[in-house]
Amino acid sequence: MSAPRLTKGAVPATRGVVGTSMRRVDAAEKVTGAARFTGDLVVPGMLHGRVLRSPHPHARIARLDIAAAERMPGVQAVLTGGDLLGATFAGTDPYYGHAIKDRPIVAIDRVRFAGEPVAAVAADDLAAADEALLAIQVDYIDLPAVTTVQAALAAGAPRLHEGPLRPGLFHGLGELRLEEGNICYHYHFARGDLNRAFAGADEVVEGEYTFPAVYQYAMEPHTVIAQWGADGLTVWACCQHPYLVRAELADVFGLPLSAVRIIVPYIGGGFGSKSYTKMEPITAALARKAGRPVRIVNRVDEAMVTTRRHNMTCTMRTGAMRDGLVVARQCRIWLDTGAYADNGPRVAATAGDAAPGPYRWQAVDVDAWAVYTNTPPAGSYRAFGAAHLSWIGESQIDALARKVALDPLEFRQRNLLRPGEEVRPGGKPLDADLIGDVTKVAAAIGWGGPKPPLVGRGVSVGLLTAGAHPVSTAAIRLQADGTAVLLVSTSELGQGARTVFTQIVAEELALPPDRIRVMGADTLFTPYDRSTGASRSTTLAGKAVQHAAVNLCEQLLEIAASAWGLPRASLAVRDGAVWHETERLSYPDLIKKHFGMVGGELIGRGEVRPQHGTGSYAEGPVFWEVCVGGAEVELDPQTGQIRVRRLASVADVGKAINPQLVEAQEEGACLQGLGNALFEEMLFEDGHLVNGSLLEYRVPTTADLPDEFRSILVENADGPGPYGAKGVGEGALAAVPAAIVNALADLGIDMRQLPLTPERVWRRARELGLAPRRDRS
Amino acid sequence: MDGRAPSMRIALTVNGRPVEAAIEPRELLLDFIRDRLGLTGAKRSCDVQVCGVCTVLLDGQAVSACCTLAYEARGREVTTIEGLAAGGHLHPLQEAFIAHAAVQCGFCTPGMILTAATLLQDVPAPTPEQVKAYLKGTLCRCTGYWKIIEAVVAAGRRTQEARE
Amino acid sequence: MLQPFEIHEPATVAEASRLLARHGDDATVYAGGTELIPVMRDGLAQYRHLVNIKTVPGLDAIAPAGEMLRIGALATHRMIERSPAIRAHAPVLAQVAAGVANLRVRNVGTLGGNLCFAEPHSDPAAVLIAQGATLVLARSDAERRVNADGFFVGIQQTVRMPDEVLVRVEVPARRPGAGAAYARFALHERPTAGVAAVVVLDGDAVTAARVTVGSVGPVPARVPEAEEALVGRRPDPEVLREAAGRAGGAVEVLEDLYGSVEYKRHIVTVLASHALDEAVARARGRGH
Repeated sequence: MSAPRLTKGAVPATRGVVGTSMRRVDAAEKVTGAARFTGDLVVPGMLHGRVLRSPHPHARIARLDIAAAERMPGVQAVLTGGDLLGATFAGTDPYYGHAIKDRPIVAIDRVRFAGEPVAAVAADDLAAADEALLAIQVDYIDLPAVTTVQAALAAGAPRLHEGPLRPGLFHGLGELRLEEGNICYHYHFARGDLNRAFAGADEVVEGEYTFPAVYQYAMEPHTVIAQWGADGLTVWACCQHPYLVRAELADVFGLPLSAVRIIVPYIGGGFGSKSYTKMEPITAALARKAGRPVRIVNRVDEAMVTTRRHNMTCTMRTGAMRDGLVVARQCRIWLDTGAYADNGPRVAATAGDAAPGPYRWQAVDVDAWAVYTNTPPAGSYRAFGAAHLSWIGESQIDALARKVALDPLEFRQRNLLRPGEEVRPGGKPLDADLIGDVTKVAAAIGWGGPKPPLVGRGVSVGLLTAGAHPVSTAAIRLQADGTAVLLVSTSELGQGARTVFTQIVAEELALPPDRIRVMGADTLFTPYDRSTGASRSTTLAGKAVQHAAVNLCEQLLEIAASAWGLPRASLAVRDGAVWHETERLSYPDLIKKHFGMVGGELIGRGEVRPQHGTGSYAEGPVFWEVCVGGAEVELDPQTGQIRVRRLASVADVGKAINPQLVEAQEEGACLQGLGNALFEEMLFEDGHLVNGSLLEYRVPTTADLPDEFRSILVENADGPGPYGAKGVGEGALAAVPAAIVNALADLGIDMRQLPLTPERVWRRARELGLAPRRDRS
Repeated sequence: MDGRAPSMRIALTVNGRPVEAAIEPRELLLDFIRDRLGLTGAKRSCDVQVCGVCTVLLDGQAVSACCTLAYEARGREVTTIEGLAAGGHLHPLQEAFIAHAAVQCGFCTPGMILTAATLLQDVPAPTPEQVKAYLKGTLCRCTGYWKIIEAVVAAGRRTQEARE
Repeated sequence: MLQPFEIHEPATVAEASRLLARHGDDATVYAGGTELIPVMRDGLAQYRHLVNIKTVPGLDAIAPAGEMLRIGALATHRMIERSPAIRAHAPVLAQVAAGVANLRVRNVGTLGGNLCFAEPHSDPAAVLIAQGATLVLARSDAERRVNADGFFVGIQQTVRMPDEVLVRVEVPARRPGAGAAYARFALHERPTAGVAAVVVLDGDAVTAARVTVGSVGPVPARVPEAEEALVGRRPDPEVLREAAGRAGGAVEVLEDLYGSVEYKRHIVTVLASHALDEAVARARGRGH
């Protein structure tokens, strides 16, 4: 049975749990320190692992001698690339990678980035493991390194990957073409006649832009425990996508899916840094060699060379008419994906798709390349694609508005797509009221009102392809006493998935929330959910949960109808029972009737799959997540420092299952956006990360909070999720840098590089001849 | 004696209970608490005293356990998040964090609550500005801090009202 | 990771000094440990013997002593921040202590440890130099006095001998007509730049001035060029601006992650301007 159809614009009435700011079901555990993360778990016989990492960005391994390390007290095993080709790992494919299988579990013969694992040690304690690392002897022969996109694309540049690239299991991008040289992936689309459109344009703006490598900094670093047993491989890990990791590990180690079990405790932040496969293969391989369970915990500097956001250069030009209508945009994007693809192809595709922005174009032409370099691999980070491009496209929109003497808000109102319009050919039409959204956000920052000197305002609008792949299942086990256990494989990263699902089950099954138990993902028990990311969990896994609850209701209604000899339509579910007028049969009553004893259970199941086509990236997205933000900033021209006075973002969520948690996600996304905009930047010198510590990599603190922040909730019941919901939590991260860049442009300072460090802003202000404010006396 | 073997005996109080242990001089307080005492509320993240997830209280003062020797806890009172709730009742800060959704992933939460507890000892009903300044050195990557500040202010107000 | 070591618990400064002498390069003074533990853990320094001077009583005392204020080397930044004597006698020191690192480091980190570790990106040293402070080093039974502006000789290098223990800092009494201020600029955990200024007015003329710039060069340093631009002149805005400009121009600046040389010079000028303005205002406020 399908969920009730909703009329557009009507926010559905519910029984009163969905739509309330119910307390998080995991909060009590977390505030008392009882919540267990992977690093808090100990498995009997567990060894502690440490990884030896290459100091060179590109080198051959001439000699690797682990004999001394192996003999050290407390050392139980040392793993090297050579092992992967030997007898212990017969049947193992040493390469993994969900998009492109280009990543060896441990370096084999060659290292491609400074920080690449070369060996791993399992010992009785960390001190012994650390000592053993020092005893491993490695001779490297330096190879010429290409540590920038420019160097990697130059003629004669050394190739990072020889031979044909092998597609991974889950790239989801249709056919993966092999590219030339160090190009990992190329994405291109075009429509309309670009040259004609630009030729006819009254105004054209163009520029070159630079975007930094940024570190997700989930506060819990990557942590994995792996254990081999008679029934296969068990892994406890901070995985955002346990089922994808399971598939990869099964593929790598030549195991059936059912022989690989992934258990996911609470995760201390994900933000994409724990998406797909990261430290699981090396931990599993080390455990296999050791013949005992092994736990590996990354240090923060190791986590930073495990994954990061793609740095990027971009050229863009946009044309518009004097009357304020845009006509054409051309964009070329080069993303530095580091030494291995990780999610590079997907990031390139979403960056390309984000480049046009949600506007009505006559012609668009976009190329995006993901390029291999000898730097640590880049992967997913919240709002990828839109975070990369929104600030660029939106700054050109503002520049054009100024050229045709139109207010930037009005310019957008004229050009933004409306709900139902095509965003890209063959894909999902726009499902959000962007004009309404941006108008609200502008009002929230006082748009149009008087501005003190050195204060600027900016707004931004963008779209994110959200939902990833729409495949999710869920099951609910209704116990003999009427309590329910929800089985769903969404990872609890902090976003509140377990709470939202509890609310949905409570709503559909008319059960008090405290009678519902939801556990974390365990692939042995919780059924398939494709992934936790791309803002998909409430919308898709939540939908599967809703279906499972509805399916359970059906079963309960059937049993009651049969017991009473009444038609189904005359019965209703309410307060943990099925009712006919004033007569009731509670769930325990119904279960007892069904099984003839006190015992047994009813199992409801729910499933979400593509409604048409294959649910591929090109056919989607599942929904468009809005990236709408506004910023009011004050500039200190003496130092170039920007103070954010007001910040606003729009959470266009269709239906807020838990409004407080929506707001909480928005607040976090905005502050990450602020960090990305103002100071977050990974600094590399010749492929070496030079600020690999929180002392030198700055993340936002309470001191960086804007004076005022507003999260505007928009509920138009226009999402494909339960009750018309659609996801949230990423858009603000893309919108905030764009809004801040535009707020600075409002002051006449156009910036072409992020982050907007005080030095960079100061230099640009000086170049533009902006006089410093008089000294305060 | 090369310092490699546990060569020192220390006696301390942890969450009100006496503890005696043999430690190596080089043992870090964070590892002692987590691995030897099984109190895993304190976490490890940045390891350079910046983030605050390793915060425990030593004689009521917040310290970074990741860079503190276990030796420094000898003869002193250690308070971890597990020791904050008294007699089965949550501390007002814990209740406020729950009520105000000031918890998301939860990794920073123990350190954040302990730090806020020391503020409330000092300044019973702090203003939002005071809370912001006090928590400047304790990081959170999920919440954006707003709800944490609200929660601490609310807990402070509630504690003061209870006293009056 | 931390290599194994022994912890020694001297009862007196002399005993501490003897332990340091006996173990030479293998030994170091251990106070708050906030800078020592991380460098040892990262393998940047190795010591098999930690001499824990926290077991020597009285080294954390803060007390006036005649015309000066004595600050024990083991006084933590938190103690300095809250000390009534320092707030009365040298409030800029309390202000600076309140801004060091974060509250966990301030609870444990000591002034002496901060000075002896001599991390360039740091605040307290610049202020002490501007105040004309003296550092007292002890070895066995003898004490040696070193002016703060002669204590620092390079990045993480001081004139302290390996067997010497910094026991206290002495800050001279406030002179009549003196005003002190400190302005800093920080984007990271550690400051990018800091300027400490002490200006003494007699009527409408500057009779003495000390301007110290910290965090931008290998050591915190006075800038005589800036001081000369002030002494004997009226503290008018143009005079102060000129002195600030000289501070930015003359100080030694190293380029690093915190900024380019050009930007740092500019920031120093901006900070010096603020610090001088405030120092003069305070000097006038005290007046006679």
